[in-house]
Amino acid sequence: MTMNIRVAHLYGDLMNTYGDIGNILTLRYYAQQIGVEVTDQIISLEDDFRADDFDFAVFGGGQDFEQMVVAKDLPNKKAEIIKFIEQNKPLIAVCGGYQMLGKYYVDASGRKLPGISAMNHYTEQQHENRFIGDIEIQNEVTGQKYHGFENHQGITFLGDDEHALGNVLKGYGNNGEDHTEGAVHKNTIGTYFHGPIMARNGNFSIHMMFEALQNKYPDYDFTDLKTKVKPESY
Amino acid sequence: MTLRSELATLAGRSSYWFLHNFMGGGSSLPGKITTTIDPNVLKELGKNYDVIIVSGTNGKTLTTALIVQVLKEKYDRIVTNKTGSNMVQGITSTFLEAHRPEKGQKGIAVLEVDEANVKPIVQQIKPKMFVLTNIFRDQLDRYGEIYTTYQKILDGIKLAPDAVVLANGDEPIFHSKELPNPQVYYGFENQPATGDIKAAANTDGILCPVCQHLLHYHYIIYANLGDYFCPNCGFQRPDLRFKVTEVSERTPKASKFAIDGHQYEIGVGGTYNIYNALAAYAVGREVGLQADQIRHAFDNNQRLFGRQEEINVAGKDVSIILVKNPVGTNQVIDLLATEPEPFSFVGLLNAEYADGIDTSWIWDGEFERLPKMDIKRFETGGKRYKDITFRLKVAGVPNDQHTIQPDLGQVIEDIKQMPTKKVYILATYTAMMEMRARLMKQGYIKGGK
Repeated sequence: MTMNIRVAHLYGDLMNTYGDIGNILTLRYYAQQIGVEVTDQIISLEDDFRADDFDFAVFGGGQDFEQMVVAKDLPNKKAEIIKFIEQNKPLIAVCGGYQMLGKYYVDASGRKLPGISAMNHYTEQQHENRFIGDIEIQNEVTGQKYHGFENHQGITFLGDDEHALGNVLKGYGNNGEDHTEGAVHKNTIGTYFHGPIMARNGNFSIHMMFEALQNKYPDYDFTDLKTKVKPESY
Repeated sequence: MTLRSELATLAGRSSYWFLHNFMGGGSSLPGKITTTIDPNVLKELGKNYDVIIVSGTNGKTLTTALIVQVLKEKYDRIVTNKTGSNMVQGITSTFLEAHRPEKGQKGIAVLEVDEANVKPIVQQIKPKMFVLTNIFRDQLDRYGEIYTTYQKILDGIKLAPDAVVLANGDEPIFHSKELPNPQVYYGFENQPATGDIKAAANTDGILCPVCQHLLHYHYIIYANLGDYFCPNCGFQRPDLRFKVTEVSERTPKASKFAIDGHQYEIGVGGTYNIYNALAAYAVGREVGLQADQIRHAFDNNQRLFGRQEEINVAGKDVSIILVKNPVGTNQVIDLLATEPEPFSFVGLLNAEYADGIDTSWIWDGEFERLPKMDIKRFETGGKRYKDITFRLKVAGVPNDQHTIQPDLGQVIEDIKQMPTKKVYILATYTAMMEMRARLMKQGYIKGGK
């Protein structure tokens, strides 16, 4: 049996400011090592998103103008995105994508814009300050450490039914106050780690890849395959 | 001239003279001294010049140099900041060291200006012309996004509503705002306008500024540059006054092309350099030069291309090329694809302030094209060698052809052993500077910077 993972790159032509596509390239890199095929498709403004067509999704960060245009279109895809998330399919949402999955966000010009409430966090703005630099966190559940780069003005606060992706060891994280970074709801991860979070953290990529596979092929025993792929990081 | 400006100018000129003659330096310190004494000194220094300002994210330095070369066909003395000091202090220094125009005469100055410094400079000097190259995503940790970058330039342009704006017409953002200024566009019109395509996934700036639908293209030159149109509202590329009408030959070392039907050749590869030449041509035509004079100027341009020089390292032909953002990187990869001979590839990544401290952008570079080329050896190095090494692995570069070498000194030794005569080094700014310093120390690069 040839297994595959079908990736939706949500607004990949508009929300891909910080190398977010690196997540898809990295997923393919590890999947190839265990004979799993990865296909990907951009779902943009004029496209329908159907949850059943995909097993994995990436929703990247964008510039303000693009993010505003995407925010207007997002209600068209809201129901299917929520369906996708509630089916336990992995979704990586970075920066702007992370913000828009929440209840609301305040953009750089001070406007308060609704998110699609697929998750319960909300995002405010700092006054003339950005969190920029290297960041390192530790995931409480797995004990795994992840590192990356953050560059955001928005500050995000977690809501019900979600927990942090990790505790901040170095850097700022969600809001610079509560030492949390990112949000997890089911298999959906929101994060301020720039773009290629999966490229930098092989342990995280492999974990998400097997979540996707287990979810898609629930009867298959992945124990053997899990020994065949080694995480790389930088 | 006010007493304060006079004092400031005197102090600046003396310090330039001192630094230049005794210290071998002086690119921005005299400007700093002068602007500290009189923050408005540029107003005095610049008033006897017709000024052309060149700005945009990529190609400023070379476009400025080419414009100067072209204008030499008409003017004896041209003031320019050729060291690339493109902020207020550097430009103040440029005027301080320049010969003053004769009484009653106007000099001409061609200035490369950093995007964020257009406004403070135009507050003091009213230019005759702005030349705009492009706005690509570049080091987001410093300037923010493309729209805010363009806005910084516009804030300057607004202060000089009489100046001609000579802009790249293939760049949609340059057609997105109403301006009182006279506007002239240049671009590529070398293909039939019959296609209907969209830009590749990693491209910025592809939304219609009028109705916010995705732009389509009749053809794309690279990135988001091309003959764009909006199928929803009819927004489209403006009419071009100056056009590349044909590209007949491209190698890493040369391009042959026609502008407005006249044949030209420049001694440097890369489609982006054809844009730079086109901008210089456009300026030349705007000041009344003939096609033949511009050809003469381009034929004398060989020494301008310092960022792409070839260095002989123990018999290898080594080219060091600066990379700093995805569009530039993709253009360099495109240039490598025109190399007819087998070669070796070295990728050096640093993440100092001058490089941009976020390395995420490497994921938007089309490194997947490299394994399809005739590359015999890959090597990755620099302070962030792990990042670029993994990027190439994911791109499909085979492990048995790939050496990892964090030590730049050892990179030079390795180059001597590479199996090809040609070696291309792609390096971020500080990695390039360090490589050059080491090569100079070993005698492979002579003199100068």
